Amino acid sequence: MRASQWYLIALLVGVFLPERPSQAATGGPSVSAILERHCIACHGPAVQNANLRLDNLSKDIVNDRRAAETWHDVRNALNSGAMPPRDAPQLASADREALLAWLADEFREAGEARRDASGVVVMRRLNRVEYQNTMRDLLGLHIDYVKNLPPDEVSRDGFTNNGSALGMSAIQMEHYLNAARKGLRRAIVEGPAPPVFAHHAEETVTDKLKTVNWSNRLGRTGTFVARVPEFPDEGEFVLRVRARAEIPQGAPYPRMHIALGYRADTQTPSKTVAEVDVSNRLSRTFEFRRRIEEFPIQSRTQSKYPGMLVWVRNSYSDRQPAPLGEKVKLDVDGKTEEKMVWPVDTRFPAIVVEALDFEAPAYSSWPPEHHTRIVPGRPDSKPDEMRVARDVLRRFVRRAYRRPLRAADVNPMLRFYGKIRPTVDSFEKAIRETLAMVLISPDFLYRIETSRANGTRLNDHELASRLSYFLWGTMPDARLMALAGRGQLGHEHTLRAEALRMLGDPKSSALVEQFSDQWLDLGGLDRVAVNPNYYPDFDPSLKADMRRETQQYFATVLREDLSALNFLRSDFTVLNQRMARHYGIRGPKGSAFERVSLRDFGRPGGLLTHASTLVSNSTGEDSHPVERGVWIRKALLGDPPAPPPPAVPNLATGDPSTGLLPLKRQLELHQDSAACAHCHRGIDPWGIALEEFDAVGLRRETVLRRFGETEERHPVDASATLPDGHTVDGVEALSRYLLEQHDRRFARTLASKLLAYALGRSLERSDELAVESIASRFERAGFRLRELCAIIVTSDSFRSR
Amino acid sequence: MSLALPFLECMAADAMPVDGPMRFCAVYFPYGIVQRQLGTDAARWNWFPHETGPQFRFNKSMAALDQHRGDVTVLGGLSHPNGRNMGGHDTADTWLTGAELKEGHLENTVSIDQLAAMHFGDETRYSSLVLSSDGGVGEPTRSSTLSFSRTGQPVPAANRPRLLFDRLFGADPRSLVAQRQSLESSRSMLDLVLDHSRSMRNRLGKHDRTKLDEYLESVRQIEHRVDRSQQWLTVPKPSVDATGLHLHADDTTPSELIQTMYDLIFLAFQTDSTRVATYQLGNMNGATSIAGKFPPLLGLAKNMHTLAHDARKNDEGAEPLGRWDRFLTEQFAYFVRRLKETPEGDGTLLDRTLLLYGSSNSQTHVNLDYPLLLAGGSGLGMKHGSFLRFDDEIPLSNLFVTILNRVGVPTEAFVDSTGELTEILT
Repeated sequence: MRASQWYLIALLVGVFLPERPSQAATGGPSVSAILERHCIACHGPAVQNANLRLDNLSKDIVNDRRAAETWHDVRNALNSGAMPPRDAPQLASADREALLAWLADEFREAGEARRDASGVVVMRRLNRVEYQNTMRDLLGLHIDYVKNLPPDEVSRDGFTNNGSALGMSAIQMEHYLNAARKGLRRAIVEGPAPPVFAHHAEETVTDKLKTVNWSNRLGRTGTFVARVPEFPDEGEFVLRVRARAEIPQGAPYPRMHIALGYRADTQTPSKTVAEVDVSNRLSRTFEFRRRIEEFPIQSRTQSKYPGMLVWVRNSYSDRQPAPLGEKVKLDVDGKTEEKMVWPVDTRFPAIVVEALDFEAPAYSSWPPEHHTRIVPGRPDSKPDEMRVARDVLRRFVRRAYRRPLRAADVNPMLRFYGKIRPTVDSFEKAIRETLAMVLISPDFLYRIETSRANGTRLNDHELASRLSYFLWGTMPDARLMALAGRGQLGHEHTLRAEALRMLGDPKSSALVEQFSDQWLDLGGLDRVAVNPNYYPDFDPSLKADMRRETQQYFATVLREDLSALNFLRSDFTVLNQRMARHYGIRGPKGSAFERVSLRDFGRPGGLLTHASTLVSNSTGEDSHPVERGVWIRKALLGDPPAPPPPAVPNLATGDPSTGLLPLKRQLELHQDSAACAHCHRGIDPWGIALEEFDAVGLRRETVLRRFGETEERHPVDASATLPDGHTVDGVEALSRYLLEQHDRRFARTLASKLLAYALGRSLERSDELAVESIASRFERAGFRLRELCAIIVTSDSFRSR
Repeated sequence: MSLALPFLECMAADAMPVDGPMRFCAVYFPYGIVQRQLGTDAARWNWFPHETGPQFRFNKSMAALDQHRGDVTVLGGLSHPNGRNMGGHDTADTWLTGAELKEGHLENTVSIDQLAAMHFGDETRYSSLVLSSDGGVGEPTRSSTLSFSRTGQPVPAANRPRLLFDRLFGADPRSLVAQRQSLESSRSMLDLVLDHSRSMRNRLGKHDRTKLDEYLESVRQIEHRVDRSQQWLTVPKPSVDATGLHLHADDTTPSELIQTMYDLIFLAFQTDSTRVATYQLGNMNGATSIAGKFPPLLGLAKNMHTLAHDARKNDEGAEPLGRWDRFLTEQFAYFVRRLKETPEGDGTLLDRTLLLYGSSNSQTHVNLDYPLLLAGGSGLGMKHGSFLRFDDEIPLSNLFVTILNRVGVPTEAFVDSTGELTEILT
């Protein structure tokens, strides 16, 4: 949750118990005594400075909003150091801390107490990802259904599948209707099989200007271009490229980048079809299938550069600039001609394109399978249409609503069909429009769990949906629906077996990507702009690889059935060639991520050393120990620190005397201020232990600080005293400490995050016992991540409303 | 209500009626501005001028507006009393609504732009434009939109110029008959969906009913849009030349992005595609706003939030934030200039367009003394050319009442208003 919301919760609904037993038990100074000593003289019965009286201030903050606000102001005044005033006796730091700790505890307590009263929403809108995947599976068509949808709301715990956070608006509804119509128009075809266009090319076309190296050999320079003269406006196309690689000894694989588009004079609108490694030295054919309407199609009236263009280039880069061509004079039949020649670098991995084939539309039968899956047979006569429409609807609605039909489901749809059929010229047009209506119904757009048959237990179909959206981010498949239909899914062993089957399916990448992104807040990568003055070699496109490193690491732990403690510390990571080069590690040669042992690289594995998390929590110039500390407490320890109260001062980075100091030293100054110390002592040390890593996630020996024209380098100081008094120096010690001292706490955090994601709601206090039980079963299972998924799906929480 | 024909180019120039379109646009930037002690060197970067009244002089960060000083008024001292009880970064949501957001009660109320849109939005193809850098709605207290519907629901903001351009000016390749048919079918489809969904209500618990109501309200709204689209079907969309527009700008190219957003609002106003627009340049979500990195991308080193904090902390922080303020002012001045250079009737587009520009933080975290600037609307009775400072007893809603009345939305009171702000009227 965003910091200040937390704060507001606490502020507005707090319940104040003036002396909590824990306070008395620890023997700390009494809060009332401190107030009496330092505050009441000016804010008491005799005098009420600033119109404030604390001695009789109501403690009933749930019902007395004004009192809550006053306490909020008190906290601000303490935090900012505004109170007590300079000329009055100052609070001893133990007293100040006692007051602030008491306020912080109470606010948190109050916030939680309040949340318990909030209800549980069971009507969950499909989020962007779920909607995209569900449409894909329902219509059997891989197109982009969410391009124009506004971004989803994020819940306070950082998840985008939270039912109460996800809203609905007219603009969204409009997009749903458009996407439904667009998808159905493609899924359900009409008329006879369209003519197929095919094009075969073995040589690249060349450009008159000859300023670009048009070539079949793609090395440091070189682009292979095929011009496809005729093509349809829609439908699937298949593109086959026969190519081989020339890979010098020890070099990485060349990468083939294929784009489709056209040339409108100087502009060349195009879109990537695919990017693949070419690791084969012998010829091999690569095949790609896409929908042509997903690519820029040129207007038919454009005649200067006719045809659709396919560009093939080598996107592997070693960051050396591409050489320029040179003009050479050639003797051709006694005449001198000028020609551009590009040097060939034989040490650079190259691709040789041998042939390219384009075919569209590509279908193995007509009507295509995506059509027959929805409309199995044409009506044989006009009167027969109603019967077919009913059949189509019954099949489609059942799948779209992810449950058995109810009496009221189909009839209104059929009435609609009957109403529009006379207004259009074909059965297909009418049925498409009718199915579009299904796709904007709440039963499709929301996951609704309303059956009351088993008390609070979900019925089998609701369970199938939960399972499927949790592990696959999409609708249940036929097997799950069949199990639910037979009433077998509720059996614990079936549920478990299904979960394991589903985790083995490629569709589980939805869980891998969505959950790891949201749990670890990998979106932070996009919010940090790396400063090129500090990191001139940094390529922003590497951020995508950084994100994938963490996602693929998660996938490895999940699919290889490893312990989740590998997130805290391990001796491996997963890298592709680009990431390996970034870290300065040898091994991977291609774009696929592979497991790499870190034993010889003096860098422990685990999330702490992933560039994704280090960059996300940096300033783009330097590390940001506070952000890193907050991240560790939130993501790994499940203990998000209270957000900064509104009135606290910031780090004095605008001051040259401190601006040049290493951040760690600045933070120490920051902590000298009593106002900051209380919270920061619990945050900063975690981040300071990661000071060995710079803003792009690389190891460093020195810290570079700049202020104006002045530049200073300081040796890295990663020694920190953690809140429990433990001293760590650097990530080696920190990761070991976390593994040894906080493995259970981490496991509990992961369990509760995954449970919140699985349920699509924030956890309430009433979930504590469930989390406890899941966490201890998780521990008994050796902290294996895959087992945690199975434990969650078979838990009571998952199977109940 | 009778349907006014949209303002087409062929009707331009001479025939602009006395009571032509009245427009309103609000532009918000987060985290506040530079406010350093007068007399210090740092104060040269102060956003507010140093002397009030018509003799005021813009400081460095606002200098770009000097060319328009006869068309602008700087307003100091105003804020929403409700906002003073809220978190330091919670007030972007209520800038145009004046509501009080509290945990346990995060429901907003209607924003003034949407009030205007409800009043005369039916006269244009689009009732309003809602834009922001982040897009969507964000989350309560960190919304990525300035606009809230009649029921206080956030209106999702658009953030991609290309999509926005296509929506405003893109031609529908389908035939009129096909378009009409599709609209008619949408109409009856939505009717049926509404009927069906209402029957579902009984099966739901209290919280789910709220969710379902949100759905039903959305369906009702697009029904309304479908009706409007039917009315607009035979009116072609204005044809606009996209040359020079950076329609592919995104969050990695802030300069182009912001300029293009202004261009699109300008074009929407010029073609009378809408008369109401809001644009949130960034929200105050340091943790998630994509706009936070705009300053570093422009070479200003620190992200937005840190710039604002540094400027509050000490004099050295003034210049970096001041440079960012100056960048934003230059962009806004560009927008004002485009409106002013475009003739309409006897005057310019700016004369019948009221622009509100500003923030809900003065210094960061301080929900008082909002930096505010009004521009345009001299044809609507606005008096300009001064820096006016108001007592903090005066709620900002008084300004809103005046704005609404000026743009033709008869309004007696808004939230906590106590009257009108007559000082800005001729």
